[in-house]
Amino acid sequence: MLECRGVSKTYRLKDRAVAALREFDLALPPGSFTVLVGPSGCGKTTALRLLAGLETPTGGTIARSAGDTRVGYVFQEPRLMPWLSVARNVGFALEGRMAKPEIAKRVADILDVIGLHDFAQARPDQLSGGMASRAGLARALVTKPELLLLDEPFAALDAMTRRRLQSELVTLWQCFRPTIVFVTHDIEEAVLLGDEIFLMENGLIAERFANPILRPRDPTDPEIVRLRRAIIAGFEAGEARKTRTPKESTQ
Amino acid sequence: MKRLFAAGPIWPLVAVFIVAIWAAGVSLTGVSRALLPSPVLVADAMRELIDDGVLAKHVRVSVVRLVWGFALSTALALIVAFAFARVALLRRIVEPPLEFLRQIPPLAMIPLLILWLGIGEAQKIGIITLACFFPIFLGTTGGIAQCDPKLIEVGRVSGLSETEILRRIVLPSALPSVVIGLRIALGQGWRALVGAELVASSAGLGYMIEDAQNLARTDIVVVGVIVIGTLGLATDWLFRRAIAAAWPWVRVEHGAETHA
Repeated sequence: MLECRGVSKTYRLKDRAVAALREFDLALPPGSFTVLVGPSGCGKTTALRLLAGLETPTGGTIARSAGDTRVGYVFQEPRLMPWLSVARNVGFALEGRMAKPEIAKRVADILDVIGLHDFAQARPDQLSGGMASRAGLARALVTKPELLLLDEPFAALDAMTRRRLQSELVTLWQCFRPTIVFVTHDIEEAVLLGDEIFLMENGLIAERFANPILRPRDPTDPEIVRLRRAIIAGFEAGEARKTRTPKESTQ
Repeated sequence: MKRLFAAGPIWPLVAVFIVAIWAAGVSLTGVSRALLPSPVLVADAMRELIDDGVLAKHVRVSVVRLVWGFALSTALALIVAFAFARVALLRRIVEPPLEFLRQIPPLAMIPLLILWLGIGEAQKIGIITLACFFPIFLGTTGGIAQCDPKLIEVGRVSGLSETEILRRIVLPSALPSVVIGLRIALGQGWRALVGAELVASSAGLGYMIEDAQNLARTDIVVVGVIVIGTLGLATDWLFRRAIAAAWPWVRVEHGAETHA
């Protein structure tokens, strides 16, 4: 169980404070699939970075259940080390933590699952965008994370590759059952992936949507379409509020 | 320079052309052999120096000095650069005096180094170390500063300690500019070495040139010049080959920066 209570993050720019995240409450049961969706600048990436420990909150608490929770993080860009082979990139977090043969086995297994088996010895610059994204995903999965954080991992990919990786991610989640927090600005992606969807605006959670629709989900399914409409409506209501109270809300 | 070793067939032609102009110039103007000996005389002198082992001795002495100075300054520069990256306070204390020292040409330090280290090997190696240190140090510092913070974050989320991040992410990503520093240092080291050997020395290529000048043996001076240039090119070439083999992701530029 991962719980955020009243978490806030304020960045100081020269003469003013910018609240990137305010009063952020989130409770993640183990094995849940949560999506944070919102326009850029809404604080969704900040929330993810706080969960990963890449930033420290200005206020509030983030509590993880006891034990050393293994966290996997997938960045917006693949962020592979250009000097390492795909296999060594994928095993990056394991090196020095366990015996070499064990690392090799884990890496080979995950490369099989993710479909990069034939590219284990390739250099990152020899991969296509989709393959590099897969490698980034494999690197996060190889530690068998209990918490998997993904920051718009497929945003830069073409629509077809994105669709395939989305369904692969769902399959992987169904196999390993990590707790997933997935950040995206794409409402369709949010609805296809998440069981709980948080619409974010101006550093706040504006609205929460439960998504009980069974998988595999079809983007043209009427229920999916209805949920998308609801999220869009929530977003537009927020935009309307914002134009009534210009800028005060970010201070 | 760019195609010198890559495309092969051009540089021998250039060499032949230069030697031909040299030979023609000498025979047409009838210039004194004390001013500029002909290629044939230089070749004779070189054969003589090779046969009696004198050249080999001087080359060995010079190369050993260079290797020591280069290795010493590489170790020092890497240690200091990474210590700076790790401890900001250390950097703020040590950087100003280092920057001061950097402004002084190593050859200007020869008198002091002779006083402190004598006229033996320590003084020669000291000069080379001084000359090599700053290119390597600046290359490493620059490479560390330019490390992509996004890759460092990968280390953070992978649970790496600060030291591991330095060793496994910052060092490899700094390597290309470390390599540029090393190549510049190698060139600077050669210059400083020959300079040091011109003063208070009894062996080495610089000494050989100095001694030949005193004996009015211009042919030997020219041999020395050719040998130094060739050895410089050869070490740089070997160096690039070694780097290409050890770190294939580092793209090594050809030419130019060795003489920067």
